[in-house]
Amino acid sequence: MWSSHPASGRRRPPRRIRPEAAESKLGRRHRPDYWLMIWCAVLLAIGLMVVYAISPALGITNHTQGSYYVTKQLLAIGLSVAAFFVTARIPLQWWQRAYKPLLVAAGLATLLALALPVNPAYPAHRWVRFGGLSFESVELVQFAVMVWLATFLARRVRQGTIKSMKLTLKPLVIALLIIGVVIVGIQSDLGSAGVIVAMMATMAYVAGLPLKKIMLIGGAVLIMLVLAIAATPYRRARLESYLHPQSNCHGSGYQACQALIAVGSGGMVGLGLGSGVQAYGYLPEAANDSIFAIYAEKFGFVGAIILLAIFMAFFTRLKNIAERLPDDFSRFLVIGILAWLSIQTFINIGAMIGLLPLKGITLPFISYGGTSVVFSVAAIGLAFQASQYTAFTANRLVDEEAAAGDAVRRPGAARAGRAGIRGNNGSRRPDWRDNARRAGY
Amino acid sequence: MALPNTNNASATIKRVRFWYGLLTIVLVVFGIRLFFLQVVDYSHYHAAALSDQLKQYQIPADRGIIEAQDGSNVVPIVLNQKLYTLYADPVYIKHPNQVAAKIVPVIGGNANQYAGLMHTKNTRYVILAKKLSPSQNQRVLALRIPGIGTQGQDYRVYPEGSLASQVLGFVDGNGKGQYGIEQALNKQLSGKAGQVKAVTDVNGVPLPATKGNIEQPPVNGDTVVTTLDLPMQAQMEKILQQEYKKTKSQGISALIMDPDTGQIKAMANYPTYDPSNYQNVTNPAVFQNGAVTDAIEPGSSMKTLTTSAALDQGVIQPNSSFYDPAHWVINGFNITDIAQDGGAREQNIASILALSLNTGATWMLMQMSDPGHTQITAKGINAWHNYMVNHFRLGQPTGIEQGYESAGYVPPANMNDPSIDLRYANTSFGQGVQLTALQLGAALSSVLNGGTYYQPTLVSETIKASGQTQVNKPKVVEKHTVGPNIGKELIPLMQNVVTTYHNEGFSYMSFPSNYIVGGKTGTAQVAKPTGGYYKNTYNGTYVGFVGGDKPQYVIVVFNIKPGIPGYAGSYAGQPVFSDLAHMLIDNSYVTPKTSP
Repeated sequence: MWSSHPASGRRRPPRRIRPEAAESKLGRRHRPDYWLMIWCAVLLAIGLMVVYAISPALGITNHTQGSYYVTKQLLAIGLSVAAFFVTARIPLQWWQRAYKPLLVAAGLATLLALALPVNPAYPAHRWVRFGGLSFESVELVQFAVMVWLATFLARRVRQGTIKSMKLTLKPLVIALLIIGVVIVGIQSDLGSAGVIVAMMATMAYVAGLPLKKIMLIGGAVLIMLVLAIAATPYRRARLESYLHPQSNCHGSGYQACQALIAVGSGGMVGLGLGSGVQAYGYLPEAANDSIFAIYAEKFGFVGAIILLAIFMAFFTRLKNIAERLPDDFSRFLVIGILAWLSIQTFINIGAMIGLLPLKGITLPFISYGGTSVVFSVAAIGLAFQASQYTAFTANRLVDEEAAAGDAVRRPGAARAGRAGIRGNNGSRRPDWRDNARRAGY
Repeated sequence: MALPNTNNASATIKRVRFWYGLLTIVLVVFGIRLFFLQVVDYSHYHAAALSDQLKQYQIPADRGIIEAQDGSNVVPIVLNQKLYTLYADPVYIKHPNQVAAKIVPVIGGNANQYAGLMHTKNTRYVILAKKLSPSQNQRVLALRIPGIGTQGQDYRVYPEGSLASQVLGFVDGNGKGQYGIEQALNKQLSGKAGQVKAVTDVNGVPLPATKGNIEQPPVNGDTVVTTLDLPMQAQMEKILQQEYKKTKSQGISALIMDPDTGQIKAMANYPTYDPSNYQNVTNPAVFQNGAVTDAIEPGSSMKTLTTSAALDQGVIQPNSSFYDPAHWVINGFNITDIAQDGGAREQNIASILALSLNTGATWMLMQMSDPGHTQITAKGINAWHNYMVNHFRLGQPTGIEQGYESAGYVPPANMNDPSIDLRYANTSFGQGVQLTALQLGAALSSVLNGGTYYQPTLVSETIKASGQTQVNKPKVVEKHTVGPNIGKELIPLMQNVVTTYHNEGFSYMSFPSNYIVGGKTGTAQVAKPTGGYYKNTYNGTYVGFVGGDKPQYVIVVFNIKPGIPGYAGSYAGQPVFSDLAHMLIDNSYVTPKTSP
């Protein structure tokens, strides 16, 4: 991301560390990453637009008012904005102390979901309801596990015991077992469990847990997965229809087939926002799990690529923030957020375009659904808070890399320099923008 | 300041970048996959989408109603009622038992059976119930159950019950008219179904704002106003039912027509059926309107037509007389009279009809062959055949608006046939020739009205869906069946038959003197399908007219195989005619003579 096209000649000169910049204990504090917030808002707006466009169509099968979905989604977005401003103000280190209450809360929420009577339309025990409000307990579990794991991994890295079988691997395996039993076994939510496990694997890998050991655990998880699929008929049917999508379009493969039809019939530029047809009862879960297919039908290949690009830009911001953070805990936390959201995106879109089996996973920010939106945006609040800090070492690393790259590839680059960013040596006063530029803005 | 381990941080960042690289690859793969789905295979998925979404179906047209005359009013006798078929799309029904429990209170029936139907695999359409009323339909739709829908279907309703059912016919489950007017005018009554080609939601409801929707509205069927006079029809049916029992016959057909227009005023058969329950009929023969569909040998009532032909040819006069030898030997066979009461003696035209002399009818054919002589020649046979087929239009369907009309049968004038003389001697008095009641009535009508054969019809007018009325004016098919005076000559001869029967003790054949009533009986032997005739089995027929200054109604009665003794024409056909004639007079359908 640092090296631009050689022909452009736009190359950042190596820089010294500027100790006069505002700094925290571990790194310098500067302007937060507003692009992160903007991309997040853009994604929410796209989701809201699609939900708005298909709201009347959803009434065909769900028998709701035309404005029902939009109103509820707007409410969820309002709540999530409030959550964002809370989490964006909490210093990141505070979460290191919060993981225990969070885990307890997640456990209680899960127990509550298991204890409460179920909605006959969705028989799995996944929802906690009070009055008209309801939320999916697994979202809180995901969040709590992420905070705990970041704390745990950072401690092991600091202790130098990250590769220890007993101290690191054992707790991870126990956590996996609990997730397997509760979320897969009892709540029957294989998709969410998959997202949590993949997020944990990513965090553990980034923290330095040997790939071999992760693979070993991965193998064990795979065996459990096969057992879980073999034990439940509807999962077998889903897998079957994934492997042979055209064979059972009127039975268990119906949703997969209709999703492909929605995506494919969108063509190059799509049918237009108001003109999609598949939402009119053809494609189940049009506002939730299947919203990407509905979007692709409306906006075509061009629109789908633009959406993928926005997601990519958004994930890139998260990655950049993680890279330059001054401490392991923050880094692991942001990587956890990145993994959590990107894996959901990956599983959801993969299912819609027939590359992965259907899993009942929502598309972050786009899909209709309050809990998912609130927790995703709250997590972005954490990342937003984190984006204000840059490690000195990270700067140094960046500068050294850039210098090495110049030395090897473009000996004349340092001399050529770009006038506009000479800031500190010129008349312009130094400010946080310099840090920001260094960090790759 | 304790800086974090640089090597450690840089290793971590490298792993982040590796993982990020994987993510990038995944999203690039997704982009490529999208390119294949949306650009390369677009036409495949576009076609697949349309095959699901684009539905083409017909908007059924309302079938035309059928009306009849009632005094100066026109009243409906066949109407439509929309009833609903309830269906399910099992793909959308997740909990069949719950859905079944919801619909049972509305439509009744067995919840388990409905649930079982909704469990049907590999189908998108299961019929749960039929013939729901409009209110049941509304209540079911108000439940708003995904995957449950209704379809309206028109059913015929009959405000007059089984009245004129065989003339009307019925509409089968496929919406097609069967028998009677429903069959004959099926196309006109059906109208033209509209076409809709539209992108629809999953329940088949067209989406409002979709380009390329094609909609062609249906054209509803015509209203058919029949010539039937309802009260007259009702009384005729009552009379037929009574006489059916009295004469112990196997069936009676009768019609009353207007000789001056060809319009059928009443037409009925007994036994009959209830068209709203046509499915329950076990013997499909009762669907037939026998007066139009069943041609039989009419017997002596045919003598009216032979007499008319001979009079028109001028070979006999109304007052001609001849010596009746009581039998003729033709082709080696004896032609004798059924009524052997007279023996050989002088007879005249009036007595030929009044005594129903077969020898007399044969004599008239002889006169048509060679006036003044007693032999049958090709000339007479050809002349008789010409009158019957070309003038009176026998041996071919009349073209009345009825299904399954019979053509009847007139033997060809084939002079190579060695027994052609005998064959034609027989046809002159109604054996070996087959007529429907309608053919006989229409032919006699043309004689009585002065020689015009009007197209027999049941339709007085049709009203298009647009409101445009088409009056079915009397249509002249044959301008000159016989001369204008033949009717006037025949009327007293047929009146004489009525008087003679009255004088012989048939008291009911007495009519007020300010009306003219004439007729002719027919007692016909019934041909075996294998050839020859049954012994002691006869059909009783009667053809006659009622009027004042001129004949106003022609009445034809066919009484099939009556089970009472005596000549069938006199004892089974005649009383039915009498009842009908009295009914017409008593109900002031007939305008009496202006000068008594």
